[in-house]
Amino acid sequence: MDGIELMAGAMHAAQARLDVSASNLSNVSSAGFERRIAHATLGERGISVSRSVDRTQGPLERTGRAFDLAATGGSFFVRDAHGHAIPVRSASLTLDANGALLDEHARPLLGTNGIVRASAGATIDAQGVVRADGAAIARLRVTPGASVESGFLERSNVDAMREMVDVLSAQRAFETAQKTLSAIDEARSKDVNDVVRVKA
Amino acid sequence: MNRALYAAATGMAAQAQTLDVVADNLANADVAGFKRATATFAALGDGLGTAPAGVRRLFEQGKLEKSGGPFDIAIEGEGFFSVERDGRHAYTRAGAFARASDGTLRNAEGWQLAGVHIPADATALDVAADGHVFVTLADRGRQEAGRIRLTEFAAPERLQSIGSALFVATSESGRARAVSPGGEHGPKLVFGALERANVSIVESMMAILGAQRAYEANAKGVQAADEMQRIANNLHRG
Repeated sequence: MDGIELMAGAMHAAQARLDVSASNLSNVSSAGFERRIAHATLGERGISVSRSVDRTQGPLERTGRAFDLAATGGSFFVRDAHGHAIPVRSASLTLDANGALLDEHARPLLGTNGIVRASAGATIDAQGVVRADGAAIARLRVTPGASVESGFLERSNVDAMREMVDVLSAQRAFETAQKTLSAIDEARSKDVNDVVRVKA
Repeated sequence: MNRALYAAATGMAAQAQTLDVVADNLANADVAGFKRATATFAALGDGLGTAPAGVRRLFEQGKLEKSGGPFDIAIEGEGFFSVERDGRHAYTRAGAFARASDGTLRNAEGWQLAGVHIPADATALDVAADGHVFVTLADRGRQEAGRIRLTEFAAPERLQSIGSALFVATSESGRARAVSPGGEHGPKLVFGALERANVSIVESMMAILGAQRAYEANAKGVQAADEMQRIANNLHRG
C-alpha cells in the first residue's frame, strides 16, 4: 500500500464520517429518527467505510396528543402502499376525512381487524385498545410484550453533543491525513529532484 | 458534491423553521382560542439531511379562565363555534362575542355566531351547558333566545387556519358535523369564561433554547464541511 494512496483513503474516510455526522445532526428534531454510524476499517486495500443504523430507542417526549403513540418493548403496525404491515415504534397519527389514522408518511394504523377507524376524542390505552365515548372500538396490532404510550412520541436518538464532537474529530482527521499526504509528497519530490541533480 | 455541507444546511433551515413556529405560538399566547402549532421533520433520503414534514396544529384543550366580557363562552371538550361573515363559514373556539346592533352575536372581527338572536330589551343573558341561550326581558321575564350548536370534524388538524383562532374546512378535514353540546360524553359550554391559548410560555422558551443549540451545532457542521473542502482544494500547494 502506497503512503499517498493510504492518506487519500483516510481523507475519504474522514469525509464519509463527516457526511454521516452532519446528516445525523440535521435530524436531531426528526421524530423517531435513528442515527447512522460510520465505521472506518483498515484492510489490505486501504481504509474503507461501512455504515450501520443505531436502533437504540430515543427518549420519549410528552406531547399530550392522544394520537401521538410511542411503543416501548416492541412495536405497533402501519400498512404501507403495498399492503404490507410495517412495524413502527412511534408515530404522530392524524385522522383523515374517513376516520383512518395516518402516520407522517400517510400510512394507516393497523388494528387486529384491519385499518383502525376512530374519531376526534378517541383514546388509546397501553394495551392498544381504542375507545370512543368509553366503548372499545378497535385494538391495535402490536408485537408481543409491547406497551403503547398515548400522548408520547419517540424523539430522534441523535445526541447533538456527540455528533458535534464527531464532526470536529472528522475534520481534524481529515487535516492530519492531508498534512501527512503533503509531507510524503514533499519528501518524494525532494528525492526525485536530488536524483536528477546527481545525474546532471 | 459535498453531502455534509448540504445536510448540515438542511438542519439549519429546519431549526430556523422551528423558531418561526415557536415565535408565532408565543406571539399568540394571549389570544383566546388560539391553538399552538409544531413544525415536524423527517429524514431526507439516506444521509441527505432533513426535510420539513409539515406544520401541525395541536388542538389540545386550553385552560378555561373566568372573563368579564358580556357574552363570553368557552367550549370544554371537542368542537368549534360555527361563525359566518359575508356568506363565508368558519370555525373557532374563541368565544368572545358581543351583541351587535341587529341583535346577532358577533366577535370583534364581525363573525356572527349562528343560531342566536338577542332582543334589544334583554337585560340579562346566560348560556346553559347544553347551549340553550336565555335572556331576561323587562316585560316577559326569562325567555329562550336560541341554541348554540357546535361543529365537529373527523380530522380537525386538517382544518386550514385563516387567522389567529379561526379555521375553515378543507377536503381533508371531513365534512362539518353539527353536534349539540351537553351530552354525557360530548362537549359542554361554559358561560362567562374564555379558553386560553394552549401555549405554555416555559415550554416555548425551552423549545427556543433547544432550536438555537441545534442551529449552532448544524452551523458547526457547515463550517467543518466547508473547511475540509478548502483544505482539499489547496492540496496541490502542500
